[in-house]
Amino acid sequence: MSSLVAAAVEGVRHLARHPLRSALAALTCAVAIAVTVNVVSLSYGMDADLRRDIARFGRLTVDVGRTPVVRPGAPRASFGEAELATVRATVAGLDAIVVPLRSERVTVTGAVEVRQMVLAAVGVGFPRTLAIGLKAGRFLREDDRGLAACVLDESSAKSLFPGVAPADVVGRTVRLSTAGTPSVAVVGVLEDPMTYRALFEAFDEGRGARTLISALLSFRNVYVPEDGIASKELTTVSVVLPDEARLDVAFERLTRLWPAAGVDADPASLAPINVFARKAWMDAFGGSTQTGAFLGNLVWILVCLVACVMVSTLNLVEIRERYDELAIRRCEGARRRDVVAQVAVEGLVTSVVGGLAGLPLGFVGADVLARIVQFPFRFDVRFAGVAVLVSVVIGLLSSAIPARRAAALDPAAVLSRRLS
Amino acid sequence: MTPPLLDLSRVARTYRNGDVVVEALKPLDLVVGAGECIAVMGPSGSGKSTFLHVLGCLDRPTAGTYRLDGRDVTTLSDRELAGVRNRQIGFVFQRFHLLRDETALRNVELPLRYAGVGRAERRRRAGAALEAVGLAARTTHVPGRLSGGEQQRVAIARALVKEPRLVLADEPTGNLDTASGDAVLAMLDALHDRGVTVILITHDLEVARHGGRQLTIRNGVVAEVSPSVVPRIAGGGG
Repeated sequence: MSSLVAAAVEGVRHLARHPLRSALAALTCAVAIAVTVNVVSLSYGMDADLRRDIARFGRLTVDVGRTPVVRPGAPRASFGEAELATVRATVAGLDAIVVPLRSERVTVTGAVEVRQMVLAAVGVGFPRTLAIGLKAGRFLREDDRGLAACVLDESSAKSLFPGVAPADVVGRTVRLSTAGTPSVAVVGVLEDPMTYRALFEAFDEGRGARTLISALLSFRNVYVPEDGIASKELTTVSVVLPDEARLDVAFERLTRLWPAAGVDADPASLAPINVFARKAWMDAFGGSTQTGAFLGNLVWILVCLVACVMVSTLNLVEIRERYDELAIRRCEGARRRDVVAQVAVEGLVTSVVGGLAGLPLGFVGADVLARIVQFPFRFDVRFAGVAVLVSVVIGLLSSAIPARRAAALDPAAVLSRRLS
Repeated sequence: MTPPLLDLSRVARTYRNGDVVVEALKPLDLVVGAGECIAVMGPSGSGKSTFLHVLGCLDRPTAGTYRLDGRDVTTLSDRELAGVRNRQIGFVFQRFHLLRDETALRNVELPLRYAGVGRAERRRRAGAALEAVGLAARTTHVPGRLSGGEQQRVAIARALVKEPRLVLADEPTGNLDTASGDAVLAMLDALHDRGVTVILITHDLEVARHGGRQLTIRNGVVAEVSPSVVPRIAGGGG
């Protein structure tokens, strides 16, 4: 231990004697650590956000829905009260909440007109199918009838009333393109669970799941009471279970009646009515976020490797300049391992000092970037540990070859000037 | 009879320079008793440094057996050789070979650091060694702030501090003025008087006179100048 401390002291002394070169090597490490901190913060922040978002999509919900895409000429399946009753009977005894949903495309006018919005007629239990809260106002109640009241998704509210805060949207009215409907009062705004809407949509694009629930789960809807749409045809029936065990039972029972729609199913090959477990979709999306994390990790690993090469080159040049010193040390009794330890400690001290300097640099950089690009850089005290660990690895890797070169030095050749 | 400190039997050193084999030291037999002082003379490129490096365990002979204080050092591992250099052999070079960024005290401490001697003891012994060479007031000076003679005295103190059995001095006065050179030689004589074996490599006849025996090296062949004094010496290969 004492020899290690002595080697560390020697290392620090040596670095202090060559401030410019030490600073250059430390700066290289600092930049690498700053990039690492930035990428890890971003990856960590996005991962946390995405996990939170995904968790809001109703893991304990199973949807039974009619496929909106049908082959040309094929009859559209009937999906109405009879199927709703079948669903209720199938999940009886599982403490399930069954929420029917009807929908149609409408043009909605608030402060501006928005075409092709989804008008969703839902039961009062609809919020239970998700895990999202209200941004402002309230959700629909049993005493809300017809088209007297509606609730907007946050995204819908922003589209219909640009620049207006959700709380100020409550109390305003929207007009629907449905024939003969008067203005509908907005009583609430649901919060948007999609922090990274573009990512969700890119993931969802072209997947079989999209045809079933994407319109609904795009969260650009206008919710009205159950009798707000005249049609008896249902779009989906959502079943919310109290736990995963009962969710699996319900899914198993329902898939005896209708086929399960896989996440990656071809929309054109879906059966007229399908059963869809949101859990599978959420797990698939959660898995796809790991690809992003992998790419992020690849970036900082590459940056650190480049730093290793740069610091290693600096160290190699320095070792060449220190042939005399190393030969004297060997002459006076230094073993090869003493030389390796000395060079390694010097490398470690440089990289750890650089890493510790890079840590605040990374935090400041991430903070600035977060303000500019609005990405969720999120810091954790554990990053300091990661930074020190990465610094140690950089130090060891970057001094491995120079240390080997130094240890292999032939002191006789140096002292007799056969090697200089 | 004094037991031999160095016993070299058919020791040779060759180098390979591309396809050319250079015989830097031709097969040599040499016995040096403990406490002897030997001067080795020869022109540049004659093999003096190779001879010194082999004796100093800095270089391994490519043939023959070299016994140092009864121990065959040709079979020792690199680590064991480092230990031999650290404990038994002191080096004094023409170019001083001090660590230029370290103070005189830390330069003298160097072998003790590798010997695992504690800091306080190192300081004490290094300070005493510097005092012995008359540099007690220069302990905190780096080599760049010392004269050539003072630097060589630091090098002698560094050799002295490990209390070696053998001191190898390679042209110790080569870079010094006469006064400084004389002072350095006086210190080497004092070491010899204390029973330390001194091998002095020089091309200066005056310096060579400090040796009890004089050897010459020419083209890698070691020969005795005053054979009557030498119990056994044979330069192989002519």
